[in-house]
Amino acid sequence: MDPANNMLSIQNLCIYKNESRLFTLDTNVLAGEILTIMGPSGSGKSTLLSWLSGMLDPAFTAEGKLLLGGQDISQTASHLRRIALLFQDPLLFNHLTVAGNIEFGMQASQSSSKKQRISKALASVDLSGMETRAPKSLSGGQQARVALLRVLLNEPRVILLDEPFSKLDSQLRQATRELVFEQIRQRGLTAILVTHDQSDADAAAGKVINLSNPRST
Amino acid sequence: MIVDTSLFTRWVKFSPSILITLLIMPVVAGLLGVILPAFGWLPALGEDTVDLRGFEALFATPGFVKMLALSFSTSFVSTFFAVLLSILILGNYFNSKLLGHIQTLLGPILVIPHAAAAIAIGFLIAPSGLIMRLFSPWLSGAELPPDILLPNDPYGFSIILGLTLKELPFILLMAMAAMQQKEIKQAIEGQYKVALSLGYHPFTSFCKAVLPMLYPFIRLPIYAILAYSSASIEIPLILGPNTPPTLAVAIMQWFNDVDLHLRIQASAGALVQIMLTLCVLFTWWLLEQCVKRVCLSSLINGRRTYADVTWKFLTHCITLVVLFAIVLALIGLVLWSFAGYWSFPKAYPDQLVTQHWQSALQQLPETISDTILVALAATGVALFLALFTLEAEQQRRTQLSSFTSLMIYLPLLVPSIAFLFGIVWVKEIIGINAVFSMVVVGHLLFVMPYVFLSLATSYRKLDLRYAKVAASLGRSPWSVFYSVKLPQLMPPILFSSALGLAISFSQYLPTLLLGGGRINTLTTEAVAIASGASRRISAVYVILQILLPAFGFILAWLIPKLFFRPRY
Ligand SMILES: Nc1ncnc2c1ncn2[C@@H]1O[C@H](COP(=O)(O)OP(=O)(O)O)[C@@H](O)[C@H]1O
Ligand SMILES: [Mg+2]
Repeated sequence: MDPANNMLSIQNLCIYKNESRLFTLDTNVLAGEILTIMGPSGSGKSTLLSWLSGMLDPAFTAEGKLLLGGQDISQTASHLRRIALLFQDPLLFNHLTVAGNIEFGMQASQSSSKKQRISKALASVDLSGMETRAPKSLSGGQQARVALLRVLLNEPRVILLDEPFSKLDSQLRQATRELVFEQIRQRGLTAILVTHDQSDADAAAGKVINLSNPRST
Repeated sequence: MIVDTSLFTRWVKFSPSILITLLIMPVVAGLLGVILPAFGWLPALGEDTVDLRGFEALFATPGFVKMLALSFSTSFVSTFFAVLLSILILGNYFNSKLLGHIQTLLGPILVIPHAAAAIAIGFLIAPSGLIMRLFSPWLSGAELPPDILLPNDPYGFSIILGLTLKELPFILLMAMAAMQQKEIKQAIEGQYKVALSLGYHPFTSFCKAVLPMLYPFIRLPIYAILAYSSASIEIPLILGPNTPPTLAVAIMQWFNDVDLHLRIQASAGALVQIMLTLCVLFTWWLLEQCVKRVCLSSLINGRRTYADVTWKFLTHCITLVVLFAIVLALIGLVLWSFAGYWSFPKAYPDQLVTQHWQSALQQLPETISDTILVALAATGVALFLALFTLEAEQQRRTQLSSFTSLMIYLPLLVPSIAFLFGIVWVKEIIGINAVFSMVVVGHLLFVMPYVFLSLATSYRKLDLRYAKVAASLGRSPWSVFYSVKLPQLMPPILFSSALGLAISFSQYLPTLLLGGGRINTLTTEAVAIASGASRRISAVYVILQILLPAFGFILAWLIPKLFFRPRY
């Protein structure tokens, strides 16, 4: 797949909640770029991500178009969009092992190469040998990294991050952030990061949009 | 801590023990009263040698193996269907408003007595029932009711249908109650979204991401249903075959036989019934293990869809059919209750009359007042004990031990046919003659767990700071309980009362056995006339059986709105 083909355009988006306008947005994100969304709590950041992933709560209505690689996907069902979500909570499946969680994200293929890819990926985030551990036995930072691998090995076209570092303490936060950004850039993914920490925005080094004041783009 | 010694506090302290004694004693006495006769010891009949005659007679009964097979297969298959349907409905309507609507529609089915449901389903599927009439003659070609043995078919398909329809709402509601708890709701919704965003189709997402987490919460209800349905009386009695019937029904017939010596065989049967119930539970456990083995690897095989669209379509169809069947059964009841002459293929009676209602209502006042009195007494005692036990728990600041909690559910787990007869026997030995109180105690065994369960959640969630504030203002424990806690708990107390009444209304076996024919409730009367007499009178009884609990719930819903409305 050509990463250049992963440009995400949000065109004339306007989200309403009970008839009143929550926010408007019109912007493009290039492949390999990390767009940062900031704004006070309640300004609609998570709502934006749910619209992008096609899971907008029925309490909201939306106008506007979403194009991925030039294709209108506004009406496409969530599971066909290839837009992956990474939440604040790792949301790992407790009925699966660490490797099982990552494998859950991967596309169906020959299982021998799958196992190798999982070990390699785990090693790349300092989790070698953790394949058969239960997610619950991992620390918060480790769980966050497994959740990241589950999303990355899914090979999505776009990755949406909803305050993914906010539950980690400051040292772990920086390390995890560097790791995530590096992986995103390496793979040429299109990414949108929601945060209310300025240092996240600085590290992302991309466009920053403040939702309470969308004109500032 | 300062020890308060007021009467109230002392009562509260003892109520957990009273509650447990009230539940365990009859069950244990009842089991003893079955075990001894099972081994031939029945002094009342001059039998005081211990031997295995009862079992020999039991095994030599014609069709004994068939009885076992029928009990086993109907309970297992119906539970399997109910679980499967619940999964389909939950999975395909997950995160959709439809699920809420289905819950509202199916909820009331839960409180319809088994006997009433069985009679209504029997009417529906009978050769001259509403289904056949709707499809005749244009589809079936039948000008006369076809000559097929329904509902009492020898393979127990009708029993399976009845049990499945009764169990489905229970599992669905238990699952939805679990899914509505805040932490569980957040976790499963999050994981469902994760699966969707990783490209899993909706129903596959539910099965692979949500179900493994949800199943542990519906596991106990499923076991309860298996235990109940493997030993249930009403549905197999009304919808099942008689050549031979299920084991539980056969046991009941032997116990009630004029030949008192059959009691030895019946007692042996009751012990076999317990084994059978354990077998059903064990088989389900085996099934769980197999599914776990087989499915764990397919959870991570990367497949994103398993014919999701087909499943969705199938679920729409099944849901529609189930709702259609329920509505049709209700309409059928009303039509039959007013039907005069009603010739066969017609879907509507030739004439409507009110004479069945009139004659039923003439015979009924005493039955209805007995029904209500027993229910009020049982529910009142249950409510009183449940509240005091929960208060004791709060005063002690520790939750009930898991042993105590388990004991509260004991009467629901042990097949009732196995201990109720024992109670009758023990009662005869001791020479208790108080029919009314015996029936109330019998009902209490089954009302208590539900009242306790439904109250416990709200009681344990009470914000104790109010009580502390009141106590610091000099209120006694009784006054805190009465004027601070109870008012806050009014809606759940009313709901639990309505539930308790409904459970009591629906009891068949305890009333029949402990009442010894001297106390009749709507349910025992309805079952008695279901076997013969008139379908039209039956319909009237069943409608009353449905209306009575419904009335209780309407009151429970209305009273807080009328009397506890904040006034501005
Ligand atoms: N499911 C929902 N139903 C109704 N209102 C919601 C729902 N989710 C969020 N909201 C409201 O929508 C607004 C935006 O919420 P959200 O997008 O979560 O904000 P943020 O992520 O920026 O803190 C808030 O006012 C919030 O209360
Ligand atoms: Mg948010």
